[in-house]
Amino acid sequence: MALVAGGCVGKVLAPGAPPSASGSGAAGTSGPTSGAAGTAGPAAGAGGAGTTGPVTQPVASLHKLTVAEFTNSIHDLLGSSAPVPAQLEPDQQLDGFRSVSASVVAVSPAGVSQYEAAIDGAVKVAFASAAQAAKVLTCVPASATDAACPLAQVLGAFGRRAFRRALTATDVARYTGVATDIAAGPGGGILLGLQYAVSAILQSPEFLYRVELGAPSAADGGRTKYSDFEMASRLASLLWVSVPDDALMNAAASGGLSTQAGVLAQAKTMLASPKAHQSMANFANDLYGMDPSSGTPLTTTFKDPAFYPNWTKTLPVAMEQELLMRVDDVAFGGDYLSLYDSSTVFVNNELATIYGLPQVTPDAFRKVTLPAGSPRVGLLGAGAILASNGLPQRSSPTLRGRFVAQQLLCKVVPDPPPNVNTTVLDMLPAGASVKQTLEAHRQSAACAACHALMDPVGLGLENFDSAGTYRTTDHGVAIDASGVLDGMAFADEASLARVLRSHPQAASCFVSKLYEQAQGRQPLPVDQPVMAGLSQRFETSGHRADQLLLDIVSNDAYRFVEIATK
Amino acid sequence: MSRAFPRSVLPRRTVLRGMLAGGIGVVIPLPRMAGMLNDSGTAYAGGAPLPLRYGTWFFGNGINPPEWVPTTAGVGNAWSLSAPLMPLQPVKSYLQVITGLTNKIPPDPAHKGRPAAALTGANAGSTDVQLPSIDQVLAPILNAGSTPVLPGGLHVGISNTSGAGALDLRVSFRGPNASNPPEYDPANVYKQLVTFGRSPTTMGPAGPSPELARRKRALDAVLDDAAALRARLGKADQLRLDQHLDGVHQIENQIAVLSTMPATPTAASAKLVDPAVAYPNAGAVGSITALRSKAMSDLIVFALSTDITRVFSFMFTCSACHGSYADAGLDPVTFHEDYGHRKSPKGLDYATKGFATGVAYAMSNFNNTLSAMMSCADGAGNLLDNSVVYSTSCTSESQTHSGNDYPTLVAGKAGGLLKTDQHIRLVTVPPGTTGAPNGDNQSKVPYTLLTSLGRPQSPWGLGDSQASAVLPQMLA
Repeated sequence: MALVAGGCVGKVLAPGAPPSASGSGAAGTSGPTSGAAGTAGPAAGAGGAGTTGPVTQPVASLHKLTVAEFTNSIHDLLGSSAPVPAQLEPDQQLDGFRSVSASVVAVSPAGVSQYEAAIDGAVKVAFASAAQAAKVLTCVPASATDAACPLAQVLGAFGRRAFRRALTATDVARYTGVATDIAAGPGGGILLGLQYAVSAILQSPEFLYRVELGAPSAADGGRTKYSDFEMASRLASLLWVSVPDDALMNAAASGGLSTQAGVLAQAKTMLASPKAHQSMANFANDLYGMDPSSGTPLTTTFKDPAFYPNWTKTLPVAMEQELLMRVDDVAFGGDYLSLYDSSTVFVNNELATIYGLPQVTPDAFRKVTLPAGSPRVGLLGAGAILASNGLPQRSSPTLRGRFVAQQLLCKVVPDPPPNVNTTVLDMLPAGASVKQTLEAHRQSAACAACHALMDPVGLGLENFDSAGTYRTTDHGVAIDASGVLDGMAFADEASLARVLRSHPQAASCFVSKLYEQAQGRQPLPVDQPVMAGLSQRFETSGHRADQLLLDIVSNDAYRFVEIATK
Repeated sequence: MSRAFPRSVLPRRTVLRGMLAGGIGVVIPLPRMAGMLNDSGTAYAGGAPLPLRYGTWFFGNGINPPEWVPTTAGVGNAWSLSAPLMPLQPVKSYLQVITGLTNKIPPDPAHKGRPAAALTGANAGSTDVQLPSIDQVLAPILNAGSTPVLPGGLHVGISNTSGAGALDLRVSFRGPNASNPPEYDPANVYKQLVTFGRSPTTMGPAGPSPELARRKRALDAVLDDAAALRARLGKADQLRLDQHLDGVHQIENQIAVLSTMPATPTAASAKLVDPAVAYPNAGAVGSITALRSKAMSDLIVFALSTDITRVFSFMFTCSACHGSYADAGLDPVTFHEDYGHRKSPKGLDYATKGFATGVAYAMSNFNNTLSAMMSCADGAGNLLDNSVVYSTSCTSESQTHSGNDYPTLVAGKAGGLLKTDQHIRLVTVPPGTTGAPNGDNQSKVPYTLLTSLGRPQSPWGLGDSQASAVLPQMLA
């Protein structure tokens, strides 16, 4: 499924080999693969086509909560007024996804300290008074021995949601012990005791990481299946980017998540909640390079004000918000791929200026349809995409083309070859246009194979400068944004948008990206038939992303630890 | 001799009851604080020698070897600094410049395998580094016999702009997928350090603040639950959990320290100045400015001199950093592209001069750190007398990603273990000769440091970048 340029000096993947792990999509490094600590990456010898029965493969079993999950979970557990400071260990990405990194990463000592500070700050607010505590707990004990509202019951209920499983008697005793000891200590009292008991629960790795191990299921021929509670955890993480609520935990407790039908029913209910909009926003943050873990987030990207005086501190924020609104507009009930060639935009006044749209008073985000014949169409005309793949003083067709190739078409673009000679550009006259400068990439054989994957598409976007503003010339040269993408010609960004929408890889690439995000690990050869089946359904459903989410979570591959092969 | 990370040896309940009752004497191992020196400040009150310290100081985007390599080699007056190294003049007497070594890992991809090798002795693997970095190998060795409140080191960074698929924003690794991400905001570092520098709020007339005991009570429950969880996990996840729990143990140790600190500020804490006061115009956090690197240098010096930590990493810029060196007077563009790869639209000559300016600017920031250490009294001398700082980059020649003449600097006398004030040139070919790798393994320099500081002699690293021999010229 991955396309690799044949003539590149970079490594060519063997057929069926998984894509490389690095965020840049490098085709592999020399030297032994990691074995020192047994990371949950692709294993040599993972079962492929032809083997029978379930195959044991390294999987993602301990998932650190991403910053987004942690923040949402704290708000769901302690109330939305609970402050969550920004000082948390930042997420990293692996293969472009925070969820994939979260399955292998270990938190640093500084990060653990930051958790303590964040949680202590949040619980202080949540337990500042009995009235506050009543919003968090099923009831508020008047003392450690209150029979009408027993401590054990209250902490057991809270712990069930935080740990995403039923607490044992030993677990409960551990936390009632904290509450009792502190309530009886200097300056104590039951509220303080509850505060620290809850703090202990939230600082536990059983909250900070999702534990998903599975167990052999007799009803399923002994296959290792995720338990009901583990499915609740997985569903809440993917669909709400948070912890399960009581209704979901109750369904799990009564066996409602042990069948495909049960999972599907619960997932439909969850998708109907407003919280479900988090799922696609979370995914879009990774896919479109907006999350800070990408290393160069748009909101702190520098653009030289001498070249882009319209690049303010607020404009990139508006651009990111706009892209998230566009995603939300098509992801629930719409054709997701219409994102690529739609004329629907969302603008506030600052962004409206960039897009050539009128101002309104008072200023607020509004949905607008760009006029027919507008040169700006779809995702590739979005400010967030154009500007995040641009440089401080000029546009970068290579970066933009790489984005399309890797993120939208799942092509593997190898890194520059060793000892690449970049001095070829010295020969050009000063003031050469960007297009002229890039010609050199395609004239040199060593550069052409890889740059052919990127530059032509990026050059199709040259009518938009590095801040996303439309233009017709570059360095005095009229812009020619025509080109060819995989045999399909385009004249400008508008027609490129339509080419992208109808590209044969567009749907399957989107499916594989969401599948990878959901599984929290890079796809293995055994996942290929699963993804192919999901892609087929995605096509026939009219590219419904919400339906795709349902199809993923109800798939065997999501409910069982190992992917069965036939 | 290295020691495993010390765990709290006291039964939880004993400590708890003692503290909550407000006053039962409990013996808790104390870290060595500045207040425990002998009268002349040359050793600890008990007679033990002062500890050695280690730091990694990393800058991205490499060098221009013909400019970088000093034209003369030798010791003392026999050698002088090259143009990009000239900002290090104030600390020349503590410096070793080692040239002619080759980083043996091919740049495939560039800016990833080479810095991994220079820091860990091994190429990067398919998902991450394969081995711990030199600072993490040294931490338990340098901490032996003591429990600094930050045993794993203090990790700071200046630029938070990544290198787009290189080694990402990290130079300190406890192992694969277990890095120590740098802190970019001096205010956050200060907040943490000031806690250990004085404790008027944590120590009242009735003893330590009860909040400390409450925090510990909660953390004990965390450890208890984690022990049960651990039994259910596979080996790889157990390792990750243990790494997480190292952080929990570290907090418990810090609580123990805070519970026994004197009520009045120690002499050392008086020297810790709020960076917001000392450097009010240090620029937006994450941008590259000399003022912020000075602020971070001051904070590191405080942490080292009070024995809050014995190890640090300073990530000035990460591998292939795409940040801007506007603070150096260069165009506010991507230094990596426009200068490192000479892609500036203003032409090759401008880009080459700008790159030279950038490298010298990085070295002037290195001097900020080293000079701050040299100005800090430590025992009979200063911090640089009792430290070693290793500086390297993600490539040698920035345009071709050559590994020859790999940038390698060592500063500090390490308590008399290391020679200083010398340029060691290890090849006879002219600097910047490209083509086939022509120099000895660059890993020998970190290997030499590891060995002299106490790592038991055995090969360090993997594959082509593995080292097993020291460079005797570096040793005193």
